[in-house]
Amino acid sequence: MTRLRTTVLAAGLAVAATSSLAGCGQPEVTKARLERAITPTFANLYVQRAALLGEPSVTAAGVGASANCDRGGPKIPDVGPGPDWICMIHFTDDHGQPQDGKFEIQAKADATYVAGGPSKLIGQAMLTDTHGRDVPNPVFEFDGAFDPDR
Amino acid sequence: MSATSTVPTDAPAVRRRPGTATVLRGEVAKLAAQARSRALIIGALVVPVAIVLIFSTQLPPKDTLYGRHIHTSGYAVPLFVLAFAHQWVLPLLAALVAGDIFANEDQHGTWKTILTRSVSRAQVFWAKTLTAIGFNLLVLALLAASTITTSLLVVGTQPLPGLSGQLIPAGSALPIVIASWATAVAPMLGFTALAILLSVTTRNPTIGVAAPVVLGMLMQLLSSLGGLNQARQLLLTTPFEAWHGLLTAHPFHAPIVTGALVSAGWLVACLTFAHVYLRRRDITGG
Repeated sequence: MTRLRTTVLAAGLAVAATSSLAGCGQPEVTKARLERAITPTFANLYVQRAALLGEPSVTAAGVGASANCDRGGPKIPDVGPGPDWICMIHFTDDHGQPQDGKFEIQAKADATYVAGGPSKLIGQAMLTDTHGRDVPNPVFEFDGAFDPDR
Repeated sequence: MSATSTVPTDAPAVRRRPGTATVLRGEVAKLAAQARSRALIIGALVVPVAIVLIFSTQLPPKDTLYGRHIHTSGYAVPLFVLAFAHQWVLPLLAALVAGDIFANEDQHGTWKTILTRSVSRAQVFWAKTLTAIGFNLLVLALLAASTITTSLLVVGTQPLPGLSGQLIPAGSALPIVIASWATAVAPMLGFTALAILLSVTTRNPTIGVAAPVVLGMLMQLLSSLGGLNQARQLLLTTPFEAWHGLLTAHPFHAPIVTGALVSAGWLVACLTFAHVYLRRRDITGG
């Protein structure tokens, strides 16, 4: 039993030591990192969507995306993982019209995120491509990663 | 212990102590004779085939990274399996042999028997440790090879969707997928050392196998809370996520380097403590 107690104690100490380190250092999920990651990701995927729909003239530069991310309204600081991030993405759509899309972001502690787009602007989960096949809409919901050190 | 009788019978008149290599051969032979290790090797080869075949008929599991792409690209499937496996499968694989290799001598009451051979405790320690590490690396390599091969054969070699919305051409996707699996080596070794430590100190194979998995899940829970900020880099589960940086348009490698250093720290700390414990232990009974 002594051995077991020692082991449990050691494990408890390790957890306590780790928790006491909590709050040290910089947060890994930040507004700037999220914005820097999601802007080119959205532009690239929007180009893929356009290619599926037979609109080869759409380019990442032409989409001209820019993002403004916020976590949980004005009262919550814009750091840390959580499912309550919102990114407003401003872009030029495939008809040349400026658009503002509200993307719901689930930011995870492992420096990845899942983004869900507004179907009014980017279409449903499945698209019908130029060959008449049903294919997943790349911008409807997508995963991405950001650099937690930059 | 018949398996360890590899000392030549026509040895020179002045008998030297057998080297660690002799002990290592004995440990490898013991491990190779266990049903558990054979089942693990076969499982590492066969289970990925079953998983890939089953998932190729299912709706994409979108809650795990790369789950949504498993029908789009054969290169995405091994990454999905890796993203899922690192949650608890890889710590379990690391612990199954390493958590048992010391404690089973307690379970069978054979410590005195192996120490009556003219080998030191340090030699026994390093032989068992190297056997566990070698076996775990073999299992990881087989698992990766089987998963990647089956995925490419079943789903195909379409371009791989990256984590910046870019498409990675098929030609450069395979090295990235292999490198992603290779980043799991460092934390696997860390978990191996943790399991060895628990195996040595608790003298109980069940705790040696189960406790690293439970600790791994606790670390996952801690890190997902987000309150740790950069202190989560010190956890042994964080290096399992370092491969994400290889998949972005501008790859970043800092998490891989940090992860390797942190894993090395866990490895050295756990092995040192286990070594000291075994050296100082009073083995009189059983």
